[in-house]
Amino acid sequence: MFLQQLINGLSIGSIYGLASVGYALIYSILGFSNFAHGEMTMVGAFAALFAMTAANLPFPIALLVGALGSALTAVTMERFAYRPLRLKKAPSLYFFIAAMGVSITLMNTAIVALSATFRTFPPIFPIKTVSLGAISVGVIDLAVFGVAAVAVTILEFVLNYTKIGKAIRAAAYDSTTAALMGISMDKVCFTVFVMAGTLAGLSGIFRGLKYTIHANMGNIILKAWICAIIGGIGSVQGALLGALLVGVLETFIAGFISSALRDVIAFVLLIGMLVVRPSGLLGKATEEKA
Amino acid sequence: MSRRLSVALLVVMLATLVAGCGGEKGDIIIGHFAPMSGDTAAWGQMEVKGVNLAVEEINAAGGVLGRKIKVISYDDRGDKVEAVNVVKKLISEKAVAIVGEQTSSASMAAGPIVAAAKIPAVATAATNPRVTVGEDGKLNPFYFRVCFIDPFQGRALAFYAVKRLNKTKAAILYDIGEDYAVGLADSFKKNFKELGGQVVAEETFKGGEEDFRAQLTRIKQFNPEIIVIPIYYKEAALAMKQARELGINAVFMGGDGLESPTLTELGGPAVEGCYFSSHYSSEDTTPKVKKFIDAFKAKFKEDADVNTALGYDGVYMIADAIKRAGKVDPQAIRDALEKTKDFEGVTGKITVNPQDHNPQDKTIVINTVKNGKIAFQERLDLTQLK
Repeated sequence: MFLQQLINGLSIGSIYGLASVGYALIYSILGFSNFAHGEMTMVGAFAALFAMTAANLPFPIALLVGALGSALTAVTMERFAYRPLRLKKAPSLYFFIAAMGVSITLMNTAIVALSATFRTFPPIFPIKTVSLGAISVGVIDLAVFGVAAVAVTILEFVLNYTKIGKAIRAAAYDSTTAALMGISMDKVCFTVFVMAGTLAGLSGIFRGLKYTIHANMGNIILKAWICAIIGGIGSVQGALLGALLVGVLETFIAGFISSALRDVIAFVLLIGMLVVRPSGLLGKATEEKA
Repeated sequence: MSRRLSVALLVVMLATLVAGCGGEKGDIIIGHFAPMSGDTAAWGQMEVKGVNLAVEEINAAGGVLGRKIKVISYDDRGDKVEAVNVVKKLISEKAVAIVGEQTSSASMAAGPIVAAAKIPAVATAATNPRVTVGEDGKLNPFYFRVCFIDPFQGRALAFYAVKRLNKTKAAILYDIGEDYAVGLADSFKKNFKELGGQVVAEETFKGGEEDFRAQLTRIKQFNPEIIVIPIYYKEAALAMKQARELGINAVFMGGDGLESPTLTELGGPAVEGCYFSSHYSSEDTTPKVKKFIDAFKAKFKEDADVNTALGYDGVYMIADAIKRAGKVDPQAIRDALEKTKDFEGVTGKITVNPQDHNPQDKTIVINTVKNGKIAFQERLDLTQLK
């Protein structure tokens, strides 16, 4: 029972994680909450769905199409909504308002264009479980764990061992100085949005596999945001850790105490964290971001 | 404001009021509100088609009292607040009667509005008793309904579980934020215990959730033979899918909230073999139902579902009342609706009980999912259940 609930929680947490990591990454560079990040997950899920249903592509290809679709949307968003603000050195409130605008626009466009009905992927993974004694782990969950682990590993590698990764870390540390040293902030932002968009797309696709695909999927951003803060805003590993923690705690609350308190826990945790350790679980002083 | 100006304003206001009370010519306006987007959009969209088909047929046959019917449909997104807004809008647009809503929560929100405006409303699929009779036991004189009510539905489900499926150990999983789910869960529990069954686990969730594995893992501990999910189709499909993933093999059973093609689309093989109660079956062979199904197919190139049937009956029930009232007046229509007797709808025979405004002794259908399709099992009669 306890172990089964732990697995249930981890599987929810890894979906949150894929969304919160990208959100944290953008925060670390531009220093604002990109609330349109939730809609990236929706775009990714729909792109993959149509790749499968309309274009009859096999799932692995559709997965790539979905991830590319949301990456492309993220880059477009950066180019037209955030870059003009960045070049004008606008205060972060302006970014925040722009993000809200993008979020509402994308969500309502989806409702108008695709209706608000619930859809699902054609059966890809069997409704099967791998049983380990009395515990069962869904095949989809294993896939989510796998993809999340691989994606975050690749992200970590890029950040720590490549030239652009170094540039990103430098920009996160101090974007003004980095720009003076010849680092192209445009290139850094482009790369960050590609990475964040890809992860968001994957999050949306797996959420669609496990649950449903619909125009309001972007609402996951609230959870992703909480997870990122609990983990330490701006920290990639922290965002993932925070997400797993929230997923597991939510499930334990629902499974052992009461499901009415399920959503409360994330907020209680958030407030507790802000009181006790404002920098989050893995948050360091801000200069060590990303 | 000078006195002269206020008198002038008063005159203008009175003049508009008098002008508004005219409308004894032209089309008869019937309002309709339904969730055409949001969680239960699949139902709302099917209902609108049923409403339009009924209006078209009535007008083709010469209308009512020699006048054509015009229907105005609004989307309330399945939201209580929005339901109130669109009902107020319909009343301001001179609707003499209103069809809707499908959900109990939205109908209950609209209840006080139609009562205050003295405009009769006929709910279609809203099965909670409180739609017509408030918590204080007072009847809302202006609300009626086409469908049977939850206590009856819960009784039928309990009866079917014990007497037909021989299952006496049940668990329940439902949405605490949805009046429909709470009412149906309560009535199932009561009747199931009366019939000798035992409810071993009761788990809840809040609307909008998509992961029920925490609750299902708990239910699994008690090893129930049957799991009752008196909720809506989207959550039901996800719950069944996740239960199968957790290795739960119990039979699932729900109310009319499960009825939608979306159930099988979302749930796939996981929903195979579940049972649910309903108002109507497209496999019914009575001539009236057959005629309705064929007419619908000819117009929309698809099969009519239960929501289509209930919406269709709702319009006809109002048209029948207008005819008997002999005039297009909301109060007279209300009085005639209360006296509805042996009205032949496609969802069964409707006789309104003046005490609670519910159809008396309506039959109830039990459906199952077979090979990914909704299949008719049995039509239960109230007298069988006594």
